[in-house]
Amino acid sequence: MKRWFDTLAARTVLLMLIGVGIVHLASLYAYQHALDREMSLANEARLADRLLTIRRAVMRVVPAERESVAHELSGGPVEAHWSATERARPGGPGAEVWQSLRAHLKEQGADLVDDDIIIGANRKSETDPHLAMISLRLPDQSWTNVTLFAPAARPQSTHGTWLSTSLMALGVVGISVLVIGWMTKPLRRFASAARELYHGTDRVEVPETGPREIRDAAVAFNEMQARIRKLVSARTQTLAAVSHDLKTPLTRMRLRAEALKDQAQAKGLVADIRDMERMLDQTLAHLRGDRKDEATRPLDLAALLTTLVDQASDQGAKISLSATGATVIDGRSLSLKRAFGNLIDNAIKYGINAEIMMKSEQELVTVTIADQGPGIPEDRMADMFEPFTRLETSRSQETGGFGLGLSIARDVVEGHGGRILLANRSEGGLLVTVQLPRKVSLSG
Amino acid sequence: MEQDKGVASILVVDDDNDIRMLLASFLEAHGFSVAKARDGAEMRAHLDKRSFDLCILDLMLPGQDGIELCRQLRQGSTMPIIMLTARAEEADRIVGLEIGADDYVTKPFNPRELLARVRAVLRRTGSLAPADGGARSIRAYQFEGWTLSLERRELTDPAGVLVDLSTGEFDLLQAFLEAPNRVLTREHLLDAARSQPDAVFDRAIDVQVSRLRKKIEPGESSSPLIRTVRGAGYMFVPKVTRA
Repeated sequence: MKRWFDTLAARTVLLMLIGVGIVHLASLYAYQHALDREMSLANEARLADRLLTIRRAVMRVVPAERESVAHELSGGPVEAHWSATERARPGGPGAEVWQSLRAHLKEQGADLVDDDIIIGANRKSETDPHLAMISLRLPDQSWTNVTLFAPAARPQSTHGTWLSTSLMALGVVGISVLVIGWMTKPLRRFASAARELYHGTDRVEVPETGPREIRDAAVAFNEMQARIRKLVSARTQTLAAVSHDLKTPLTRMRLRAEALKDQAQAKGLVADIRDMERMLDQTLAHLRGDRKDEATRPLDLAALLTTLVDQASDQGAKISLSATGATVIDGRSLSLKRAFGNLIDNAIKYGINAEIMMKSEQELVTVTIADQGPGIPEDRMADMFEPFTRLETSRSQETGGFGLGLSIARDVVEGHGGRILLANRSEGGLLVTVQLPRKVSLSG
Repeated sequence: MEQDKGVASILVVDDDNDIRMLLASFLEAHGFSVAKARDGAEMRAHLDKRSFDLCILDLMLPGQDGIELCRQLRQGSTMPIIMLTARAEEADRIVGLEIGADDYVTKPFNPRELLARVRAVLRRTGSLAPADGGARSIRAYQFEGWTLSLERRELTDPAGVLVDLSTGEFDLLQAFLEAPNRVLTREHLLDAARSQPDAVFDRAIDVQVSRLRKKIEPGESSSPLIRTVRGAGYMFVPKVTRA
């Protein structure tokens, strides 16, 4: 379906136009038809009267003057002549049109019989489509011949008809746009409330006003919203509490590890604790999603990436960063750091080394993270952003984590109005592309 | 001050018995004298008897929580405070620092990181605090239009753009800003940037300095903000103001 047809207003306008069009055409047709009948009836009666008058006048004078009298009585569409023999021949283009004239002539001229009336074309110019000829016999067997113009296609006021139709259509369009705009306003409110519910932290009540259907929908929407909020906050609170409570024993373990004499065991224990800590952090970050409780502000993305890259290289990773162009974007520093941190961790963990490039355009910053690992099988590509998804390779066992890294990264990037793409590189390895708008729109 | 005599005293306030004991023995093993409190009441009982060089205060405590206690302590005392929190959310961090804490550590913490921060806070307050505790009133340093906020632990450039620093870089820059126009030895800087022990112990201080330079020095054409003093160390050149 085309886009313009997609709105309720467009569909309603179209439906109303079709309806109005059909009704209008039908009534126009009926009206025109009746009008035509009335008019031709009246015309024919008058014409018959005139023809008979000419015949009577011609009849009263002597044959020598008959032609000139006939000529004097001509005028307008009527041209009369007198002749000894009939000039009309039945049939021809005019015969059809004037056929019903015969009845009028017989009715008004009592002395006329069928044979006295010839309706047809002029014998001399039978082919002229605009001319019809009617010959009426006089009592002395001579004829009055009247040439009539066969009526051309009616010049009925088509302009007026079209004007009135278009005006009506215009009115219909105008009124439907207004009415639909007014009627769909609550729907638009729903849409924006639903969007805010997703993005924001505050509750967005839809006003419970308007017609009953809308009111019902608004009440239902608000109830649903309350239930969703309750579910989400219960889930978040539960897991946050669990995570929080786990941190206390972890802290104890960390302190005990410090007191251990066996350095090798202590190191292993500390590494385990760090893994658990990271999983807890990732879980909490995942539950929070990209919440907007951190303020959006201008930040230097290159500096942020540099910190992450330095940190990774301090831990022995092979990693490089190159940045070109302006590096300042509007963003949430902690969220972005977590997102890119996850992507870089993945590249190092699964991809042996990481090559990060940052390129800045007018409105967009593109960061690519390329590694030289095994990549991701094409059929698993779409799943990778789902939480708790991990590739079941032998490597994934030792690296730990819940498989939340990519999911968190996507939440953050999309929360910034950007997007994130995965692709296998032709030369081997995975290429993660992150595009971020340099100015984050604050409307969402 | 106790510190001058060689042994700094620390008051540990945490409601978890094991953490309190473990932390106390860890700190004692590193040469501090430690007192323990389980809650606000015990803390006040200790403080009524004597003063401490530093307090390690847990955020989540029964009764009055750490934030409230911190706020109260601040009203009548300049004792440095390091907050312990299991809630890593930034809001908590900022609140923790804006209510007057000197630093924070998130649970589960690396004990050595805590140790480094304890030392850094003691050094900072010990070296800078006049009798009235002026050190704490420093909330930010400014140089060449840049601002290093100690409360938010963040650096913004002259245009107000947030420039990310690693913990080590932050501590290093802070050490420079505390003593501008003075030659600082590598040992001094290493000590200052020690709050991230794993990373910094292994890296030469020169690497840290060059990373910091990349982030704060504009182009190669202009004069450097951090000057290398051959054979001695580094010196921070620009004029620094405290806010």
